[in-house]
Amino acid sequence: MIYLDSAATTLQKPPAVARAMAKAVCQLASPGRGGYPASMQAAEVAFRCREKLAELLDAEGPEQVVFTSSATHGLNIAIRSLVKPGARVVVSGYEHNAVTRTLADIPDVQVVRAAGELFDPEGDLAAFASALEQPVDAVICNHVSNVFGYVLPVEKIAALCRDRGVPLIVDASQSAGILDVKAGQWGAAYVAMPGHKGLYGPQGTGVLVCGANQMPVALLTGGTGSASREQNMPEELPDRLEAGTHNMPGIAGLSAGVSFVRSVKTNRILQHERSLAEMLKLGLSRLDRVEVIAPPASCGTGVISFRIRGMDCETASEGLARCGFCLRAGLHCAPFAHETAGTLDTGTIRASFSVFNTQREVEQLVYAVRSVAEK
Amino acid sequence: MTYYLIVCRSLTFAQRTAAALERQGIPAHILRTPAVISKRGCSHSVKISQRHLTGALVALNRAGLSAGQVFLTEGDGSYREVSL
Repeated sequence: MIYLDSAATTLQKPPAVARAMAKAVCQLASPGRGGYPASMQAAEVAFRCREKLAELLDAEGPEQVVFTSSATHGLNIAIRSLVKPGARVVVSGYEHNAVTRTLADIPDVQVVRAAGELFDPEGDLAAFASALEQPVDAVICNHVSNVFGYVLPVEKIAALCRDRGVPLIVDASQSAGILDVKAGQWGAAYVAMPGHKGLYGPQGTGVLVCGANQMPVALLTGGTGSASREQNMPEELPDRLEAGTHNMPGIAGLSAGVSFVRSVKTNRILQHERSLAEMLKLGLSRLDRVEVIAPPASCGTGVISFRIRGMDCETASEGLARCGFCLRAGLHCAPFAHETAGTLDTGTIRASFSVFNTQREVEQLVYAVRSVAEK
Repeated sequence: MTYYLIVCRSLTFAQRTAAALERQGIPAHILRTPAVISKRGCSHSVKISQRHLTGALVALNRAGLSAGQVFLTEGDGSYREVSL
């Protein structure tokens, strides 16, 4: 099996992740629920994870790092905290359904799509600037497109938002662990991400970095092990957003994943994944019938989308699966992005890399695509 | 033994407080706040020895962490709030 679906989930994890999870299952109880060692050790593991994430993501402090069950969970908290019925919201042309379906669920929200030409950071920036000329309640921007690996100019969009006093939500699902995520420098209200992609944690983990002075809506209410006499959720973070028992095996695994990312360094991970993507792009572009839809390397990451002319993308992906390749085909839960790229009707086949993929695997994929395309 | 309890608004804040103190060489221990002084019900406190209170307050101030409520244990097991 050659796994090339890391934009969905990094299946290959550092061995320390599974070890940390197994240890947590056997030894860690619930943080904040007791003064006995198994509870306090769990609290220590959770705190160390928050500290590492705060440093990696430029959060104001560990209290601003909230554990969620996924990026979708975090985005729901962020969006429902800032976007009220009738709001006007500006989004990029590459948003995931985690954002757009959540916006659609809030009555009478006007969604303005700010998109330049395809894979044009300057054009996207100009589109955001134009959209922000009218009053806006919130801006939501994908840092990296999950379909195309395109890096949006989030730093500059954040500067526009700061200048205009508009709260910014960043979906860092594809960038955390790969690019610099600078929640503090951006002045973002919220930055959401999963734990199970570029941070190499397990599924069922996610992180929401809350900006200073934010008072998020608690989507989930219940026990926090704190202020138990009060019937309203505590105002303090992270308690406000962490009702119920923590996913300690997940948090322990995520902590190990984050340690791995910090030891390898995000810039080296990006360099590796981007070089594989460029190699794949070159190899596929030489094949008849194959159309690569990807940004230039300067604004790309480790994700490549392609189509085989005259062949349904799901059928092609199944053919590649029979050759041992794990790829994702279809719309990737991101119809906005496909609409922007003009691939909404066909979808694409997506290859996405992690730090564990190799050049040899790319060569093998190119060979397999050629054989599938020739059938 | 007489000691001080710094009552914290959350477990994570207690952990930040303890970490900041220990970085300054001040031994700090996190424990569940005794029910009798936990007005909001269930919280965590940081326990420090009597001789470290001044140094602890200075260290927390430097770290940008406010101490909130501080209690001194009395010999009979009761607690007295200390006005800072």
